[in-house]
Amino acid sequence: MTRRRLQAVANEAKLLLIGIPVLLWTLLPIYHLFLFAISPKQSAFSGNLWPEEPTLRNFEIVLSQQHYFLTHFWQQLGNSILIAVATGVITLFIATTAAFAISRLRARGGRLVMNLALFTYFIPAAFLAVPMYRTMGLYGLLNSRWALILAMVTVASPYAIWVLKQASDKLPYELDEAAIVDGASPMQLFRLVYLPLMMPSLVAVGTYALLLAWNEYLYAFLLLSRDTDITLPVALGNFLAADDSPWELLMTTGFIYALPPAAIYYAFRRYMVAGLTAGAVKS
Amino acid sequence: MAEVEIREVRKSFGRLEVLHGVSIGIQDGEFVILVGPSGCGKSTLLRMVAGLEDITRGEIRIGTRVVNDMPPKERDIAMVFQNYALYPHMTVAENMAFSMRLRRARQAEIDTRVKRAAEILGLSALLDRHPRELSGGQRQRVAMGRAIVRDPQVFLFDEPLSNLDAKLRVAMRAEIKELHQRLGTTTIYVTHDQVEAMTMADRIVVMRDGVVEQMGAPLELYDQPDNIFVAGFIGSPAMNLLAGQVEADGFRTEGGLKLPIERVPAGWIGRRALYGVRPEHIELRDDGVPVEVLVVEPTGSETLIMVRNGAAQLGCLFRSRILPQPGETIRIAPNPALVHLFDAETERRLVH
Ligand SMILES: Nc1ncnc2c1ncn2[C@@H]1O[C@H](COP(=O)(O)OP(=O)(O)O)[C@@H](O)[C@H]1O
Ligand SMILES: [Mg+2]
Repeated sequence: MTRRRLQAVANEAKLLLIGIPVLLWTLLPIYHLFLFAISPKQSAFSGNLWPEEPTLRNFEIVLSQQHYFLTHFWQQLGNSILIAVATGVITLFIATTAAFAISRLRARGGRLVMNLALFTYFIPAAFLAVPMYRTMGLYGLLNSRWALILAMVTVASPYAIWVLKQASDKLPYELDEAAIVDGASPMQLFRLVYLPLMMPSLVAVGTYALLLAWNEYLYAFLLLSRDTDITLPVALGNFLAADDSPWELLMTTGFIYALPPAAIYYAFRRYMVAGLTAGAVKS
Repeated sequence: MAEVEIREVRKSFGRLEVLHGVSIGIQDGEFVILVGPSGCGKSTLLRMVAGLEDITRGEIRIGTRVVNDMPPKERDIAMVFQNYALYPHMTVAENMAFSMRLRRARQAEIDTRVKRAAEILGLSALLDRHPRELSGGQRQRVAMGRAIVRDPQVFLFDEPLSNLDAKLRVAMRAEIKELHQRLGTTTIYVTHDQVEAMTMADRIVVMRDGVVEQMGAPLELYDQPDNIFVAGFIGSPAMNLLAGQVEADGFRTEGGLKLPIERVPAGWIGRRALYGVRPEHIELRDDGVPVEVLVVEPTGSETLIMVRNGAAQLGCLFRSRILPQPGETIRIAPNPALVHLFDAETERRLVH
């Protein structure tokens, strides 16, 4: 074996050494979740690596809302979906138009907007929860799903704008000029050239905002209170209010709640890797 | 097709003026090449014609219309960019059809025009490909196809060949020239490569630092450069320029070398000047001045020899195949009829 081969093997080994613990670290809780979900109530805490009698009974209970804590399961899941999708769409709209205006149309004050966007990250979102609560109160939006949507858009937008601005900056400006000479108006440029080329970044950013809202607990807990308005994570939190929390149902619901993000990542993994601009210009 | 009139055009970026009053008249159907070193303002001028930069002062007219305040799409021009600027998400056909699609042309017409342009450029088999699936030369052709499809008044090219390798560049040069002969569309073409300019242009505009140094047909510039800059820029290998003074019977360089001139310009005896002779206008002669050979570069058809006499260095290009050794002495003589004299102070040409 040559020296170089040896080094390659050593590198591989190092990667595995890091990779395997990280994989276990990530998968272990999920496995635990799954284990709870397929265990009957009595044996949930048995500590076995696989339940003696695996069952889908828990899923049945959750999906047919057969437990006191789960009477609004579908409604709450629907709230989560509505809020996540709305957050994703609105954030995308704001961030895309902002990035286009700042990066491609070179709008005045663009730098200021970017700096302000960056500045928002000096303040942790949790610190803003109470001011946000008050603001929503002033707007009369408390207990409305709009409150949470707007709050999540606020939290997600600055980062989304940054990412999209960076991605826009990488598009060759000659493309815009070619389109302008070809007779495109700014709107046509946006729709026919910019959006298609930004698609991978848009998917990535949209997913980010969507999952941010999907996973949000604190803001959802503060801004929404009626059982029919809250999102599923808040509902899960309420499980813990009881003395004998139905852990197996909590875990089952959690497991179900974790499925859509996994599906989204799987579906869009291709887009997460950019590369559509290959061949645009000679670099 | 249309003529283009550029009159006293100036351009400033902020407080920095980069074009200092440029006037160029371009006839209908003419192929004009703007050439000059990098940074001299060629692209800026072209982009002002295209409408991508606004005009600080002066006037640009296309056909009968002053276009100063007209957006690009109303100017009826098509532009080919240095790095192609093809839309990566569109096929070749879609790239070429884009401008017509924006104008809401009928599909049948779009198809005919795209088909015709593809035939002209030999792209018919590639219409369904995406830019990333094309070679550099093919991408360049698509970029030209996009311009042809529009059938504009004026074609604008900004260094369209500088990203291609040498061989392809020569091939595309001929192709663009042929295309122009075929379509007859007024063309403004920017390059920093004087060979490109010499081989393709009807007329060359030599620019330096935001001003036009000289305009004229390629051979006019070659035969009668107005000043030292043009003399040195046009022609390859570059013209030899030697400082010295005019005497009654010839030119004496600072190093004391005596060189022939055909006619001594009136009133110039004893004055400081520059002696210009192209390498290809130097001959081997037994009664010539002795020089030491420094480097020999044979290319087969001709031989470039760098020689030295004192501090003076000269390039000589010989058609005959001679291969002296470095260090050897040869005797050379410029052809006096083809020698240029320039004023040492103003750097302008003396004899015409
Ligand atoms: N957008 C711009 N802002 C400031 N200066 C510019 C801009 N575009 C070009 N310049 C300057 O103008 C001069 C001419 O540039 P350009 O027209 O690109 O030269 P060329 O195409 O002849 O190489 C250069 O000095 C360049 O730095
Ligand atoms: Mg340029």
